[in-house]
Amino acid sequence: MKKLKSIFSPRKLIVWLFILVLMLTVPEITKPAMSQTEAIVTMLCVEKKDDKIDIATTVLTPSQDKKANYEVFTGEGKTLADAVSNVSLTIGKNMGFAQCEILALGENICDTGVMSTLDYLTRTKKVDRNATLVTFTGEAKDFAQVVSDVSDKKSLKLETIINYDQRYIIAQDSSIETFYKGYYSDISLGIIPKLEVKNEESPDAIEVQGQSSGTGSEAGQMPQTQSKKYLLNDGKTLAFKNGKKAVEIDVDTIKKVNLFLKDSKNGNVTVENVNDDLYSDASIVFSFVNKKLDTKSSFKNGVPKYDISFEAEFIIDEVIQENPTPEFLKRNKDFFTKEAVRRLKEQIKDDLEETIAYCVAHNVDLIDVYRTFHHKNYKEFEKYLKERKENYLDGIDYEISVKVTTAY
Amino acid sequence: MKVDAVKTMKEIEEKLHFSGDLKTRTVQFFGVDVCLCYIADITDNMLLNETLIDPMLKFQGEQDGDIVEVLKNEVLSNQEVEEFERLQNAIDKLLAGNTLILVNNSDKILGCDMEKITVRAVAEPPTSVVIKGPREGFNESLKYNLALIRRRAKSDDLVVKTFELGELTKTQISVVYFNSVADKKVVKEVLRRLKNIKIDGVVDSHYLVSYLQKNPNSLFKQVGDAEKPDILVGKMLEGRVGVLVDGSPIALTVPFLLVEDLQNSDDYYSQPIRVTFIRILRLVGVIVAVLLPGVYVALEKYHYKIIPIEFLVTIMNTTQGIPFSPFIELLFVVLLFEILYEANLRMPQYFGMAMSIVGALILGETAINAGLVSPPAVMIVALSGITFYIIPSQAAQFSILRLLALVIGASIGLYGVLLFCVFLISYLSSFDSYDTPYLAPTTPFIKSDQKDLYRRDTIKDMIKRPLSVANNRKNLKRRDKNDG
Amino acid sequence: MTVNFRQLSIMTFMSFIALKFLALPSLLYTVSGDMSWLVALVLMIIDGIYAVIIVDLIKKNQKKNVYDFMKSILGPFFAKLILIVLLIKFAIVIANILKGLEFFVVENFYTELNWIVFIAPLIGVISFMIYKGVRNIARVFEMVFIAIIIGLIYIALKSFAGVDLLMFIPFFEFGVQPLFESAYVHLSWFGSASFLIMLFGCVDFKNAKKFNLIRYIFYAIGIVQLLYIVFYGLFDMTSPTHSFALSDVSQYYGGRVAVNELSWLVVSLWVVAQAIQCAMYGFCFVKAVMYIFNIKNSIVPILILDAYMLSWVIAGKNTIKLERFFFSDFASIITIISQYIIPLILLFGYLIKRSRQKRKHKVVKNEEIKVNI
Repeated sequence: MKKLKSIFSPRKLIVWLFILVLMLTVPEITKPAMSQTEAIVTMLCVEKKDDKIDIATTVLTPSQDKKANYEVFTGEGKTLADAVSNVSLTIGKNMGFAQCEILALGENICDTGVMSTLDYLTRTKKVDRNATLVTFTGEAKDFAQVVSDVSDKKSLKLETIINYDQRYIIAQDSSIETFYKGYYSDISLGIIPKLEVKNEESPDAIEVQGQSSGTGSEAGQMPQTQSKKYLLNDGKTLAFKNGKKAVEIDVDTIKKVNLFLKDSKNGNVTVENVNDDLYSDASIVFSFVNKKLDTKSSFKNGVPKYDISFEAEFIIDEVIQENPTPEFLKRNKDFFTKEAVRRLKEQIKDDLEETIAYCVAHNVDLIDVYRTFHHKNYKEFEKYLKERKENYLDGIDYEISVKVTTAY
Repeated sequence: MKVDAVKTMKEIEEKLHFSGDLKTRTVQFFGVDVCLCYIADITDNMLLNETLIDPMLKFQGEQDGDIVEVLKNEVLSNQEVEEFERLQNAIDKLLAGNTLILVNNSDKILGCDMEKITVRAVAEPPTSVVIKGPREGFNESLKYNLALIRRRAKSDDLVVKTFELGELTKTQISVVYFNSVADKKVVKEVLRRLKNIKIDGVVDSHYLVSYLQKNPNSLFKQVGDAEKPDILVGKMLEGRVGVLVDGSPIALTVPFLLVEDLQNSDDYYSQPIRVTFIRILRLVGVIVAVLLPGVYVALEKYHYKIIPIEFLVTIMNTTQGIPFSPFIELLFVVLLFEILYEANLRMPQYFGMAMSIVGALILGETAINAGLVSPPAVMIVALSGITFYIIPSQAAQFSILRLLALVIGASIGLYGVLLFCVFLISYLSSFDSYDTPYLAPTTPFIKSDQKDLYRRDTIKDMIKRPLSVANNRKNLKRRDKNDG
Repeated sequence: MTVNFRQLSIMTFMSFIALKFLALPSLLYTVSGDMSWLVALVLMIIDGIYAVIIVDLIKKNQKKNVYDFMKSILGPFFAKLILIVLLIKFAIVIANILKGLEFFVVENFYTELNWIVFIAPLIGVISFMIYKGVRNIARVFEMVFIAIIIGLIYIALKSFAGVDLLMFIPFFEFGVQPLFESAYVHLSWFGSASFLIMLFGCVDFKNAKKFNLIRYIFYAIGIVQLLYIVFYGLFDMTSPTHSFALSDVSQYYGGRVAVNELSWLVVSLWVVAQAIQCAMYGFCFVKAVMYIFNIKNSIVPILILDAYMLSWVIAGKNTIKLERFFFSDFASIITIISQYIIPLILLFGYLIKRSRQKRKHKVVKNEEIKVNI
């Protein structure tokens, strides 16, 4: 008994336990890092092609120098899960999507609906919901290759371009989370910027040579072509309803939509054919700062009324006229003539009205009308929606007032 | 008992196994044999000649009474003289540096302290360096050390209890405290523990540490130390009890709180704001020192998804081609650093420079260029190693904890490191040092003691003794609040 | 071995916020929508009132442990019955914490985690803490408490810019009935004051001010409400899809964020808090077992707890029906009894006993006076 006690004394037990733990953990602690056993995907492009899902991934791979090195791997399958598994086969590693910053969706997927793709990636593959959504035209592998080449050669990251879009063009987040929020809202609306892969040379594009840099099996290898591919960002945006593409919004329209968005504080308005003492057939570009947009929703005799009050400080950016008058050259600062201000107010009002008309015509509520009515006039709005749920924008009475101040 | 001087002298020689350093001399004093015995190496020969032998030989006075009395009162009137009835007591004193005076046919043996104290000069200890402040440190002589303390505490409240420990070494131990400040229970417990020690010898104060600790097998120390008198007196003023050992320059203090090691004597001689910043830096440094390698391995192995992409690129690029797993790589670097450190401590000074260069080259350049280790691993271990010495007295503990954190981080990941932290805090919370919670005043939280914890208020504002340490007069003001 | 009043208040605070930042916000939203914050507020206020009642009882019976106290007012049989109900309550809470913690850790930090690797170290740490006693647990809480508060407030404020306060209007969009339903269904996540019942005889009331306890409860309610408002304001309709409130809120910056910019330091502290919370309820579990079965040594009850935790982690995954049963109606009923009925029984029992004692004392005194006369 004494011998047993001495064998199983607390101190000796701790030693045995320590040895046991060491034996169990040694295989684990000598394993290599996960970043070397999993393929770290930083961008995923998904497109539908002939009833198959075509994907292209940019994978972070080690390099000799201090720069990040991305390789493109492609795969296809009947479903997205198949395609992902085929790419894993190509690389010989599990795909790790935890660092996936960009999720690019092709045109065809946008037309048929994106929610199942997003659901699979966020729920199963654990793509972070803060990842940015972007749509593209062309083939998935072309897009991935061009993005990879651009970031390699020109030190220009796609994220930078998209961030710019989000800040200045669409003036809102285009992350998966924001898209989900829009989808699950009552109006089920989402907005995603669009980028194009172009084949011909274009002065607007970010130039890059479309050479292959991917390694791997045949399925993933880029064709050794000499054609030039460009990534074109012209401010186009796609609006989605119920997870499907509803309308493509050009950059001019989206800039007008920005006038409505509280998050966009900066922008510009162009007024043409201004004529007065100072200006002669001039086109003036006004930039606004510190924009304030107040909206008020109310009901009058059962008819919804939406009052929009726009106020901003403006500066004159550019004045385009062939022959500036001598007066123009004399004045130092005060270019805000009465006519210029009047025309500016008119132009803003026109832009706002056009935006509203656009939203009504395409039945996309880009200007938060539903949200305002829903939260501030809930009961009356519910009654109104019972009759006009599908085209509620059409029956609303819009009232716009514009106030302009100058900023120096 | 009547002393036969010559016979007793021979007995003493026999008892000391005819040691070569035992010297004897017989002198005639009023026609009586007086034998002198002393250990030459520890006796001040000049003092002996000047105060005993010469006066005896040149004594002009008359013999008024017993020769022993004449020797005591007239020859050795300036010296401290002890009388022994038992031979063993006399021999003990002989070995402590006394000169024994054996007067034939007397009934006592006289002993006179002629000790020659050869000790190191009072100098600044290497681990308690200050920029501004006292630089005196303890040395190996108990007498000198007590003198340094007395100089700083000229109070009748200071108690010094001295006794012997060690069957063979018979080392002098002194327990010092302020009578009206120290908790009587703590004093009693310390004295009880020390007096119950049955040991052959006490060579250094650290021999007593395991007797004074409640959990002697624990990694964490439960007894503080002080190498300078100002530190010791400062601690005693808070209620602690000091233990000094002859032959050791390090005084022990109890009770001990973990936060003591976060504080430095320099803190009380610098600006409070600066000191607050430094203390927070020390705390952060401790966490970094212990956890950084473990967290790094955990992140690299399991948690690449929470590393920002820019760092991930750096780690991937630099660890490409390394033949070891992250754990082995870091373990290799850690052990290399430990070996370098040990070698550096023990190697002769003239090799030091060359070996430092070799060490730096091996670790810095060659190992990285050869692809054995990655630069981040070297940097992390180096950072951790340097940060240890923010608190040098805990460096040994940190070293072990760092290794544990490394193993846990490599085997379980960040979750394991977090649980390790919880376990550590729990383990430390369960300690107490003489009924004082180890982590006080952080937990249990004592508001009034926060003034001298991570921040340091001005001395003017610290008017109360800390409540964290058991002391007698908890609410006694250090001085009157209305004093300027 | 006692805890001081400040430590008790901190333990109450931590218990109040313990389970509130895992899956609860998303679960509440599925039933009560935008008004889920109100459900949490009301239930927490009720918990706060009960906490004050229980602490008051503890203060008036400082020398008795819970079993002795209950025995003196209800008798041994009912005392053990109540302890059994409390035992089940603590078991439910522990299971809740384990489930939430495992998913939380795996989802946020790992791609996959072996269940043994999850539970073994946790059991080790928790068993150690329980073995060392409630004072040890209280001290650990006290150590990490400030860091946790600062971390939670930091996360809430950091993400506040993205909150859309308009989504809370109109109030009671779907009426009041969903709120009651939500409160009933999710009751097992509340009942945060029940652990206090096991702390009879363990509290040192020196320098105790009741206001301090109320203050900490108020802080807890404030922080939970702040984070709930941030959570619902950020995620609105997608709230049901965010099962890990704390980590999901921490990644949201109200502007552009990098992927996985998890405030992992704060999230790590939260994992620490959950582990300590598990230890606290584990302590209550162990104490209940000791009193029910008259066991003096805590080692056997600790082993029973370890076996329970292990079995839950293994079996809980494979038996979804069991899980559903455990966390729904059954759990709600147990919470109602343990949190809302038992304290009242104890309170009224104590008051009745005290009034009887006073009357007896009066009678005895009157008789003494008569005799003296």
